[in-house]
Amino acid sequence: MLSLTIDGNKVEAEAGWSLLDTARQNGIEIPTLCYHEAVEPFGACRLCVVELRQGNNSRLVASCVYPAEQGLDVYTASEKVNNVRRWILEMLLSECPASSEIREMAAQYGVQTTRFEISDPEQECILCGLCVRACAQVVGANAISTVGRGAQKEIGSPYLTPGDDCVACGTCVTVCPTGAMSARFERVRGVPSVVMARSVKR
Amino acid sequence: MANECKIGVFLCECGRRIAPLVDLSQLKEQLEGDPLIGYVGVEPFSCLAPGMASIKKAIADNGLDRVVIAGCEARVMLSKFEHELAASGLEAGQIDIVNLRGHVAQVSDQSPEEKAAKGFKLIKAVAAGLEALSPTAHEKVEFTGPAMILGGGIATYSAAQELSRRGIECIAAVSTDEWEDEIRMLHEHYPGERHYYDRLEAIMKEVDASPLVRRITVGELTSLAGRTGGYHVTFSDPMGGPPRVYEVGAVIAALDGQMLNQGSNFGHDGRNVICHTEAEEMLWTLGAPEGKVVFWLNDYEAGHPEYCYLSSRAAWSMARYMRERSPLTKVTMLYNHQMAVPLSAGERAASRKLGINWVPYDGALRPTVQSGFVTYCDPEDHLEHEMPWDKLILSPRRSVGHEATKVAHILGLEHEEGAFLEEHKQRVRPEQVGRDEAYLAGSARYPCDLHEALRQGRRAAVKTAEMVAKATAGELFAPRMVCVVDQSKCIGCGLCKEICDCGGIEPVEGPGGNIPRHVDPMVCTGGGTCAAACPYHALTIQNNTTSQREARVSTLSKALNPDEVVAFGCAWGGLAAADNAGVKGMAYDPRLYMLRVSCIGQLDPSVLARAFLEGANSLLLIGCPPEDCHHSYGLDHTWSRVNLMKKLLALCGFDRRRIALAHADLNRPEEYIKTVNSFITTMAELGPIERTLENQEKLAGLYATVNSPRVRWVLGATLRRPWEEVYPGNQRNALAFDRDMMGVVSEEFIKARVANLLKEQARPFQLRELAAALHEDEKPLMDSLREMVGEGVVGRMHKDGVAHYVMR
Repeated sequence: MLSLTIDGNKVEAEAGWSLLDTARQNGIEIPTLCYHEAVEPFGACRLCVVELRQGNNSRLVASCVYPAEQGLDVYTASEKVNNVRRWILEMLLSECPASSEIREMAAQYGVQTTRFEISDPEQECILCGLCVRACAQVVGANAISTVGRGAQKEIGSPYLTPGDDCVACGTCVTVCPTGAMSARFERVRGVPSVVMARSVKR
Repeated sequence: MANECKIGVFLCECGRRIAPLVDLSQLKEQLEGDPLIGYVGVEPFSCLAPGMASIKKAIADNGLDRVVIAGCEARVMLSKFEHELAASGLEAGQIDIVNLRGHVAQVSDQSPEEKAAKGFKLIKAVAAGLEALSPTAHEKVEFTGPAMILGGGIATYSAAQELSRRGIECIAAVSTDEWEDEIRMLHEHYPGERHYYDRLEAIMKEVDASPLVRRITVGELTSLAGRTGGYHVTFSDPMGGPPRVYEVGAVIAALDGQMLNQGSNFGHDGRNVICHTEAEEMLWTLGAPEGKVVFWLNDYEAGHPEYCYLSSRAAWSMARYMRERSPLTKVTMLYNHQMAVPLSAGERAASRKLGINWVPYDGALRPTVQSGFVTYCDPEDHLEHEMPWDKLILSPRRSVGHEATKVAHILGLEHEEGAFLEEHKQRVRPEQVGRDEAYLAGSARYPCDLHEALRQGRRAAVKTAEMVAKATAGELFAPRMVCVVDQSKCIGCGLCKEICDCGGIEPVEGPGGNIPRHVDPMVCTGGGTCAAACPYHALTIQNNTTSQREARVSTLSKALNPDEVVAFGCAWGGLAAADNAGVKGMAYDPRLYMLRVSCIGQLDPSVLARAFLEGANSLLLIGCPPEDCHHSYGLDHTWSRVNLMKKLLALCGFDRRRIALAHADLNRPEEYIKTVNSFITTMAELGPIERTLENQEKLAGLYATVNSPRVRWVLGATLRRPWEEVYPGNQRNALAFDRDMMGVVSEEFIKARVANLLKEQARPFQLRELAAALHEDEKPLMDSLREMVGEGVVGRMHKDGVAHYVMR
């Protein structure tokens, strides 16, 4: 048993639990986007940051991947943490302004507008890769991945055409934190058009 | 149910997404008061490490062997729980999930107490299903004997090469011992592949030299029996001796399709107007012809534009061969301008250098063959031109071929008469099926060139090798939820095989009728429409049986209020749509109680009947979109079953609308909500079924009717695929067929009720008494009684000159 404090409360944890696990077990809410219980944590969205204080030092870590350690002093909603979350949400607002989930979450932190440039007002996807991990780890189909690099990166099946690997189970749609997968799903499932054999069939 | 089991229920708080919305303390109290439930725990998050640890502890402390998690989506979370709790001795099937968050907490504005009550009913139903489970042992699959490559296709060699490279012994059943002969005859199936012969020869030599490959020349394949890991393959002896039987672990079919010549409508005469195979034969025997050779790529005109790529590649290869060997030959390629010329930049340059002329034509005006000319329309200026020829070479017609069809039939690869063998791949999760495809390679699968055929052979070999390696390591297990046949009940009618596409259902030995079936657990996907169709309940999905579904639905039906609705949701359609509606927090009528099935087709009519018998007033089945079934036509088959139920409900005097089939796209939860709300509104108008003795008697008759082999037989014969136009008995008239069906159903309905009554009362009845007890006319009763006496089900004796009937 490890003992640590979260937001001033003494809590206990087992070795191997993450800070997020420990906080949730004790009824402390930490917002997440790229995290889902069904898959391994990934630490992509950084929304789950918490502050670790040690004397006069303090640092921020992603609670979903940071393991619980003996004697940690964790703050999940300090000014420093909230400031970072506001920054992240403001950036996400410019990245995917069309997602109502992101707008709601930003509003909770008092972020209504973004100072960053909005390149695609229709964008909903935050590219956290949760759908990709769910497809690989939950379903085992490995039908989708991120396609392209940098600014062109997006989620889809190889060559952005429906492939044989997708079993159309919709796990990606269900886990998507922003509702973006709903539209992308239509391009992933479906009868592949490239295989000539398909045109032979009825 | 006699199963000794201890069921634990774990309620998730899920942050604030379940706990304050559902009164978990009330729910816990209710569950603890239930004799079915052995343990109840409440976890902040069951799915996280702390929750999982506490569940494992509760399982160990309380000796739980069944677990219900009341949390979120089974589709997403079940595999994690199965994986984590395997260490606690729980196998797939012993864990079930109720989507308390997505189906109860997030989708209505009910009070926490009402939601707790709804959750209780759902959890109890699921627990009853677990109680009815008799878990089977984990079935290990082992490979005995080498792999066999049969069918004689050219992919035999690439498959054998790959297998021997991977150190797996194999037997290659071929028609000739000499590989030179194979190459000599290859153009019969793959014309225009000369550029590939060197590579093919190298493969053949390697196979020839490999000590792991045994080549045998055999006659026709006569039967295949067994299952993945242990097959008996029988061939006739080419010299007329006794049949030869081989015991092998795996079978790869290498089957080449057939090339046919064009008909006389294209002027084909076999001498001057020829097809690709004849052109190749000419190159072998006479060499390149002199004079004007025209390749007319007539695939568009022959009705198969999709083959023009293959034809034009083969034609290009032959054209190049001719020009390189005979400078006197003038070669022209005449092609439909809709077609893209399939040459790379280098090949275009080569084509120009060799003077091969590519001439497009406008297919709107069909080219016509005349002696010495083909007329064609220029797409640029729309003038009709004439192209002179000495040899006109047409594209071939491609078909699966007689030989390949025969072999495919025995191997169970044929799914539609005359069609290529490429399978309708069952789109299920990898964990649901042991093998992901039939191991089939060659152009009988779908038209392809030599390169593709060899690639398919290698791929089949790789898959086989991976499976063998896994089996050798002792890690190859059959999926847990697959169909099994009770051999003592199976009469070998073959209905299951006819309606299920998975290819796992096979006769126990050899082809033919009246032979009991068995199921290859590595091929079955556990869809279960076959099990729901079996007239004798001989087929069941193990660990996911019809009796479990009956237990679930009857527990739920007993618990529901009169205005509440039982629903079944298919994991690919209805259930997934409901899950997604829950994720989005879309509200809909909370009177819907959805049970999970992995395919709507696995709902046996007896499950549907059981719901009404046990108190349900309405039943909604929500499958996946039409033509989109992930197993074998589940929605279409369910349509037939719902149709039967509607007929029976009408016979009972109830509204036919009380059962309905719907479909939902998982990505359109709003459509799903419309379906649910509309159905519940209609049901609210209808009101509940009056539970009088008379009505209960009729419903018991309904339940017995759907379990009658005769009705199930007739129903089974109506399980149609959407494109079938002829009804059973060769009836084309839908109405006439429906009347026949109705006749059978109403007869059996009366018989079932008579039998129920006589069994229950166990005393002789007069016709008059029966008619009064069943509220039926004497005439149809008399007809049924006569039949039942004839069948020996009912005994007739006379007392005071009046016939009395008694159950035998």
